[in-house]
Amino acid sequence: MDTQAELKPVGDNVPKVDGTIAVGEDLEFQRRWWKFEKVVWSFFVLLLIADLAGALGRGPLANAKRETADGTLQVKYERIQRENTSSIMTLLPGQAAVHDGKLQLFVSDSILKEFGAQRIIPQPETSVVGAGGVTYTFPATSTPMTVQFELKPSFIGLHPFTIGVPGDEPVQAKAFVLP
Amino acid sequence: MGTILHAIAGYFFLMIVVRVLTRRPGGQMTLSDFVLVFLMGGVIILSTAGNDRSLTNCTCAVITIGLLHRMVSWAKIKVPRLGAIIDGTPIVLMKHGQIEDEIMRGMQVQRADLEAAARLKGIPSLDKADYAILERNGGISIIEKEEEGDS
Repeated sequence: MDTQAELKPVGDNVPKVDGTIAVGEDLEFQRRWWKFEKVVWSFFVLLLIADLAGALGRGPLANAKRETADGTLQVKYERIQRENTSSIMTLLPGQAAVHDGKLQLFVSDSILKEFGAQRIIPQPETSVVGAGGVTYTFPATSTPMTVQFELKPSFIGLHPFTIGVPGDEPVQAKAFVLP
Repeated sequence: MGTILHAIAGYFFLMIVVRVLTRRPGGQMTLSDFVLVFLMGGVIILSTAGNDRSLTNCTCAVITIGLLHRMVSWAKIKVPRLGAIIDGTPIVLMKHGQIEDEIMRGMQVQRADLEAAARLKGIPSLDKADYAILERNGGISIIEKEEEGDS
């Protein structure tokens, strides 16, 4: 059987410069592209400025602080976090939060799951699961007291969380996790 | 799953960045270009592979990037306009022995780049060149003036 390769004539349809050199230049496209390049670079510069300011996490704009009305608990956290990147959430309980030498703190499940709590400093004495979260008990004396949670979120998006001293008004807030 | 999505995002992000960096006149990598390539490659690999450094994960990432590259090449053939967007089009830098200043500035090409390209072609100086064209790969083609009296 006679096999014949598929042949295609060379078409000379490339735009020529001065009717002689087949370059295929498209100056109109190139001028539009230069404008597009300027837009892209302007966007990149804005992105870097936003990053330096902390709008993309790990900077001044990302730092947030919430406090209960009666001052029982103050929470310092990053309102913008990054996936798989550690951040520290600091809890500053007031003296009113301590009962019988014990400090109890309730954290919602989202702190453990969405925000990926890795470590609690200091180590809690007990932890009790229930009511959509975990209640930790720490031995405590007097203020100032600090409890820190090391977070390493692995779920992208906006996640709410609740932290409080059982029996008191909790702190409720949201943080956004960037990819 | 995450690695594949990161590889896709990394591929297109790098493609945009490299495209808006403009073509390197001469089409050859300088030492500073090596810094760019290694640093960008190293940084993007961190988010692509993440904490999962298993052979399975890295194999999936490599296959994803290879597949994307084939798909983009296929799309460039099917849609020529896409080829112009991704690779650009050749640009005439010198016409009838006259340097096109607007184009030279826009493409960040220096006169020295034209002179180097002319020398590479065995043309001693630019006044003997008729056309200079910046190709899609960054190379500069020089077309010599025809000698007077040539037929």
